[in-house]
Amino acid sequence: MADSGKIPTTEKTINPEIDTRAVPSRSFLLRWMSTRAAFILIVDLVLIVFFTLLSKNHVFFSVANFKSMLLNGTEIMLLALGLSMLLGAGEFDLSLGSNLVLSSVIGANLMVAVGGGQTVGNQLPHVILTIFLGLLICLLAGMLFGLVNGLLIAYGRINSLITTLGTMGIGLGLALLFSKNGQDITGFPIQLQSEFGLKTIGSFPVPALLALAIAVVLWAIVAHTKFGRHTLAIGSSRVAAERAGLRIKPHLLKLTIIAGGLAGLAAFVDLAHFQTTVISGHPNDALIAVTAVVLGGTLLEGGRISIFGTIFGVALTMILRNGLVIAGIYSSYQLVVVGVVLIIAVGLDRISVYRRSV
Amino acid sequence: MSVDTTPQKGIAIAAEHVSKKFGHVQALRDASIQVRYGEVVGLCGDNGAGKSTFLRILQGIYHPDSGRLYIDHHPVTLHSVRDAQRLGVDTVHQDLALAPELSVIDNMFLGHETLRSGILGRFGVLAHKEMSEKTDAALRELSIALPSLTVPVRDLSGGQRQALAVARAVMWSRSAILMDEPTAALGARQSEIVSQLIRRVAQSNLGVLVVSHDLPRLLTFADRIVVLWRGESVLDEPAANLTVPDLVATMVGYRSGEAI
Repeated sequence: MADSGKIPTTEKTINPEIDTRAVPSRSFLLRWMSTRAAFILIVDLVLIVFFTLLSKNHVFFSVANFKSMLLNGTEIMLLALGLSMLLGAGEFDLSLGSNLVLSSVIGANLMVAVGGGQTVGNQLPHVILTIFLGLLICLLAGMLFGLVNGLLIAYGRINSLITTLGTMGIGLGLALLFSKNGQDITGFPIQLQSEFGLKTIGSFPVPALLALAIAVVLWAIVAHTKFGRHTLAIGSSRVAAERAGLRIKPHLLKLTIIAGGLAGLAAFVDLAHFQTTVISGHPNDALIAVTAVVLGGTLLEGGRISIFGTIFGVALTMILRNGLVIAGIYSSYQLVVVGVVLIIAVGLDRISVYRRSV
Repeated sequence: MSVDTTPQKGIAIAAEHVSKKFGHVQALRDASIQVRYGEVVGLCGDNGAGKSTFLRILQGIYHPDSGRLYIDHHPVTLHSVRDAQRLGVDTVHQDLALAPELSVIDNMFLGHETLRSGILGRFGVLAHKEMSEKTDAALRELSIALPSLTVPVRDLSGGQRQALAVARAVMWSRSAILMDEPTAALGARQSEIVSQLIRRVAQSNLGVLVVSHDLPRLLTFADRIVVLWRGESVLDEPAANLTVPDLVATMVGYRSGEAI
């Protein structure tokens, strides 16, 4: 890479006054330090110090509290990762929270049906089968939700904001229908929670490690694969991507299915975490995910994805929420803070778009 | 289709007696053009003469109502841009040809990515080093100097971007390159650079078809000029025999009796 970066010095170069604005002159670390992801990471660290000093006996800075933040952030992280990929291609998704709720209701119903209600007398193979089927059906339900979004967006040519605004309502409505008007469903194998949902390796919750592993895979896809390049190209200039011969519709469909599948996985994590569905617990999830992704430096118009930025953005929203709770601030103020942060996030996005267009 | 068996001055791309009607509008009546390997042919005409329609037929976007198309000597039927690309014909657009957030290398290989060999390649992992080296070589070949190959294309100037779009088309076409107003969005100096580049492209033994309004410049770098008038090709002459007033007169006043 270093070789290709230098200026060709043949005698007959046709553009002698080379424009050097774009020459990267600094080391990789220095350049990374100037990215949005690094900036948000620093904000994260400052907020951790701030809330630690603010909290009684510095309880904010404790293993138990970090564990709780990691666990609570896992679902948002899974939604935000899928959303990063979609935003990178220039598409939006408001329905991820509804997808999570609907998939969890479907998965819970299935596990109750297969697992036979109460956990009495369940033999281990049966338990494993039940949990495995629950995971499978959560993933499938999420992917199906994504597929419907994708068909409407790519083939129906309906704006993704409008499409997912519609499917957000439809998804939540169906979830209520499948759960006797929103009565949370319980009664699946207790091992789901003990062996996955609340399981830790060292001090790290297993679901959070799973989400981080997925983040690393997505980072590799974005940075090093043809699929990642095509996603960014489609978001950067759809016309250019079309002219280069990319098949845009199938690609968008794949992206919505991936985002849907991650929402389905978040649904499974939700069931494992709480050992019940939490139907009324996710009204702001999609918006928090958008906040996190845009804060992290993924462009709202597409063309740039920052997976690390998304991780630090999710961390920021979690630190804020958790910090405000520990500081004893009313939940109504928390809503205000999340709203303000969303606006700041989009404001940062505008500033970087403005800088680019100058 | 291989270039080896092709005579040096064979036909890269050609159209014979092409017509195209949109509803009641006869966009093309009888348009013909021939571009040989190593030759730059300029296509001009007044607004509404059918230049864009003609170009889109050659690109494979539109299907002609009648007439024949040839690529590399062979009669062809094109159903899509991808068909034309497969047969070795690529297009340089006036704008929106590149993805601005992607790097020079990524734009060069967009839709033609080189993958790593072995298991990584199966997962679609890119061969960054190879793509970078090939990009560097291709740009040197055409004497195009860019500040860096890893910056996003939006950081390049308009002329550099157009040069990159041309280099990209050269890299992936085997027969002919179609250019739609390649200098329309550029300043004088950058237009000059791109004109020189077009000559070099033809020297690398590709057929080049340039649609342009910039008649003085077109006359400096084209070998032949074809004029479209109301959907008909009415003039096909070596550029050396033509002047700008000749061309303008033909473009607006051909068969002036009929026109008025």
